[in-house]
Amino acid sequence: MKFAGIDVGSTTVKAVVTEGGEVLWRDYQRHNTRQAEKVLEFLERMEADCGLTAGEDPVFLTGSGAGLMAPMLGGKLVQEVVAVAAAVEKLHPDVRFVSEIGGEDMKTIFFTESGEGTSKQVYMQSACSGGTGTFIEKTARKLRIAPEDLAAMPYEGMSLHKVSSKCGIFAETDANTLLKGGVPVDEIIASLFEAVVYQNLATLTKGNTPLPEVLLLGGPNLFFRGLQQAWRHHLANLWHDRGISLPEGRSVEDCILVPEDALYYAALGCVEIGRGEAEGIGRFTGTGKLRWWIDEGQHEAKAKEGGKALARGADDIRRFEAEYSAADASRPATTKPVSVEATDPAPLFIGCDFGSTTAKAVVMAADGEMRFSTYVQSRGNPIEDAKSLFRDIRAGGVEDVAGLALTGYGKDLLKDILGADVGVVETVAHAKSALDIFPQADVICDVGGTDVKIMILRQGTVADFRLNSQCSSGNGAFLQGVAERYNVPLEDYAEKAFEAKSMPSLAMGCGVFLQSDIVNQQRKGWSAEEIMASLAAVLPMNVWIYAGQLQNLRAAGRHFVLQGGTHRNMAVVKAQVDFIKSRVPEAEVVIHPHSGEAGAIGAALCAREAWDPDLPSRFAGFARIEALNYRSTTSEHTVCTWCAVNCKRAFIDVEVTGAEGRAWSKVPLEPGWERVISGNSCPRGLVEDANEMRAVKAAMEEQRRVYPNLGEMVRETAFRRAVIRG
Amino acid sequence: MAKWFAKPPSAAPLSEADRAARAKLRVGIPKVLNVWTTHQFWLGFFQALRLSPRNLVFSSDTSDAQMREYGSGRGTVDCCYPVKCVSGHYGELIFGQKRRIDILFSPMIHSLSSFMDGHVMESLACPRVMAAPENIKAGFLRERDVFAENRIAHVAPLVTLAEPKLVPRQLFDALKAVVPGLSIEETARAVEAGFATLAAFTDDLRARSRDILEWCAREGRPCIMVLARPYHMDSGIGHEIEADLQACGYPILWSQYFPTDPDLLDWIFRADLAEGLIRHPFDIDDVWPSSYSANTNEILWGAKVAARVPWITCAIRLGSYECGMDQPTFTPVQQIVERSGTLFFSFQELDSTKPAGSVKIRVETIAYYLECNSPGVMEAKLRHMDGPGPLQTARASAESPG
Repeated sequence: MKFAGIDVGSTTVKAVVTEGGEVLWRDYQRHNTRQAEKVLEFLERMEADCGLTAGEDPVFLTGSGAGLMAPMLGGKLVQEVVAVAAAVEKLHPDVRFVSEIGGEDMKTIFFTESGEGTSKQVYMQSACSGGTGTFIEKTARKLRIAPEDLAAMPYEGMSLHKVSSKCGIFAETDANTLLKGGVPVDEIIASLFEAVVYQNLATLTKGNTPLPEVLLLGGPNLFFRGLQQAWRHHLANLWHDRGISLPEGRSVEDCILVPEDALYYAALGCVEIGRGEAEGIGRFTGTGKLRWWIDEGQHEAKAKEGGKALARGADDIRRFEAEYSAADASRPATTKPVSVEATDPAPLFIGCDFGSTTAKAVVMAADGEMRFSTYVQSRGNPIEDAKSLFRDIRAGGVEDVAGLALTGYGKDLLKDILGADVGVVETVAHAKSALDIFPQADVICDVGGTDVKIMILRQGTVADFRLNSQCSSGNGAFLQGVAERYNVPLEDYAEKAFEAKSMPSLAMGCGVFLQSDIVNQQRKGWSAEEIMASLAAVLPMNVWIYAGQLQNLRAAGRHFVLQGGTHRNMAVVKAQVDFIKSRVPEAEVVIHPHSGEAGAIGAALCAREAWDPDLPSRFAGFARIEALNYRSTTSEHTVCTWCAVNCKRAFIDVEVTGAEGRAWSKVPLEPGWERVISGNSCPRGLVEDANEMRAVKAAMEEQRRVYPNLGEMVRETAFRRAVIRG
Repeated sequence: MAKWFAKPPSAAPLSEADRAARAKLRVGIPKVLNVWTTHQFWLGFFQALRLSPRNLVFSSDTSDAQMREYGSGRGTVDCCYPVKCVSGHYGELIFGQKRRIDILFSPMIHSLSSFMDGHVMESLACPRVMAAPENIKAGFLRERDVFAENRIAHVAPLVTLAEPKLVPRQLFDALKAVVPGLSIEETARAVEAGFATLAAFTDDLRARSRDILEWCAREGRPCIMVLARPYHMDSGIGHEIEADLQACGYPILWSQYFPTDPDLLDWIFRADLAEGLIRHPFDIDDVWPSSYSANTNEILWGAKVAARVPWITCAIRLGSYECGMDQPTFTPVQQIVERSGTLFFSFQELDSTKPAGSVKIRVETIAYYLECNSPGVMEAKLRHMDGPGPLQTARASAESPG
């Protein structure tokens, strides 16, 4: 009798046919999300090549797709870990630890001797891409590394850099930053291998020490030489640290096994389990039902499982559009400059938002009316960005400025140079502008291209602020990516998505998996607009629950303001409104009418608030800004040394009357000059070097001396020797 | 206090050999959880047992580096982040000392001595926190006995600090095998010394808090009250968020060390006492009837104080991820503070709000509102008070509260 074992994984199908313990046939192939088709092809080949016979030979299936297919084939389902463990126990009785890294999951199995046999402890992770094969491949694709090259890239001897091990999308960002910083590609890949092993050891050992012998299974462990080296390095260190002795005469290399047929272990384990089953169990009933499923069944199922559409019919869309027409879906990315009447006698206030990718400015009259707005794509030199903004404002007809306020990350850099009256933190600026148009606002949800910010307001203050920066799910970059993939201009996204009559349900969570889930749904026959609708539908869940960690929306309040670029997409707005109202039925949801400029408007409002008609503004004046004299230095002394990325920063030194200069700097700056640092990729780079850090710390120490903190006193004195009393 | 306890019988003198052995004995104490509120008790206790202060070592503040270097792979299944971190502290004391420790002393503190004792149901510690030593120990035993390998005794007595009479027996039973020549009488005296040392330390900090408040009252300046568990003072758990606000120019009080002088408390709670809402300034029955947990009680009381004292214009609440003890208190604490118009900001899931960018923005945000709103908050709260209080009438003593 022959036994067939089929492992239907998330990216590949692996199968073996054995007879009397001999492997007669085996193969593995990527299925490109067509699991059923690939299994059918394999079964037909098994029948043709080695005489697998329906009604006679048993079939055992394992893997993520097995649950669906086993009943159609008459086969028996074997749990993945059980299958792998069975193969390991048979083939490698001395193995104590197995790491199996798959495309979208990772598992560890600890074997512990107990009494007569061994006991097994299993840990799995499949909710996040950190530490899985996709994590490596996705970044490698981005770095344009051919799969063959990736397989051969080493870990040993490479300098390592910090790469997020937690999230695949952030790893990609880190990799990009490293690449921009001139780090060689093979060092980036080595750092990825490091991150994968670290993530596996950190999350999937749970206090157990992986003991020799160790078996590495799964595609990534088999194919990537560098990953094997990273495992050897880490396990050798761990064994050394924990004083674990290797079996007599064996080296670390001997104790870490990567079998050449590592891919087939689950399939082999199926057979192993199958051989112990009673006769008749799992008997193959032929490929008929599977064929029917491929041709018809899956499409019927698709129709049945599909969630309801974004909108319940045309009426629903009409009602929605009528309510939200104020926030015109087709409005341009930024409002066009509006001329200011030259005779406008009212005092005018300027608010600027210096963000990481754009700088924006608005001019506001004393009545709160916005008179002018402009923006510039940041070109990496904040002085030039500022000059450009103020040139536009002046060209717009503004002459006298009653007050200037700045917000965004550039506010501290530019405050003195531009002569701002106020520097406002982003949250305050956003809250001011939201409260101005919507005084009852409780929650502001800002979804941008790369981040999600949630601000919860109470007592007119920003009482809570969530900035999603640990995980990339929930941001708008996806929608853009998917629209691009379908060649749909972003402006038409909503229209397309509203066309869908039903849509697949995507799982909330990791962005990397969402991408592959989309491919999966596409293969099932869902169309572009249906997938676009489903993506908009899942976004609120990712924003509020997965990224924002806000389970209880009701506790946050009743009045919601949506802003940020992603809310220009009305399909997202519809999904957001429906989601919020499903949680808080009495909720009122509004879209900020100038969502792109909300920060700058808030700043202008702060300038107006701070205005004292009897005092002159600190504003430097258009002419002085235009004439700002600066010099830019880029040298080995401007390279940032706070981390291994070593950003090539530029020091932009600007002449400002009364500025202190930086006598202590490696690029000394005489009094009368102020330094702006640019080209850094994170906030740490804004501090020049250890000298400046010392200066900053000394100022803080002085402040702490003047204003005491009981917690600090405890930290400093409570654990020192006691003065014995009693 | 019982008479025998106040004056324990004199113990037999210590032999030269025992004295010499004790002088060499090194004790490592993980600086975690409720050790953050009992620190000086343990120092006073061990020093009274004639251990050298140089030989009493605490682990460092919690940090990622500590966890990575000493605790990784020894984690236990516990959703409480501050408990999880204890692995790193154990590891540091076992593997990270230049001179080996002989005893890893990790008390399972069942109850705490609280200034609110007598006015609340109980002063218990969180059960998860109490059990942490047993839980964490497992990570160092599961494969091999790391303590035995390193010749370190893991001593984790259950201690009921709210019931001082029981403490000498608890500590004597735990330590008699490892502290040469120890007697129950000597232990009792050392326990007494421990309590006295802790009380003196606490009194000193309360006096510092009073200085701050008097300065605020005199200068009309605002300060901030932190409402948190003691271990949030650990820079690796609380991330020194309050120190960032301090650097913005605000003195920082912690509810645990708020002055308990009768004149001040009478002024703060006069109206509540007169109306019969409470029976004593430490009574929190009006807001928190299930007053079992010492740390929770002190936070609730702190919220009431923060709501009433005019110069406390802002309360900062710290809480760790999914803390079951904190969870039910979030809303009452927030409402108590906010109803008085006092600003309230909460960092409820400290370990997940760690990304520095978000904390920095939040601190700047809080500083902004403090600056804008403090004068109004102080004025409104002062109007509510029943005439000027002892803080305003105190004599000027220093230019700054520091």
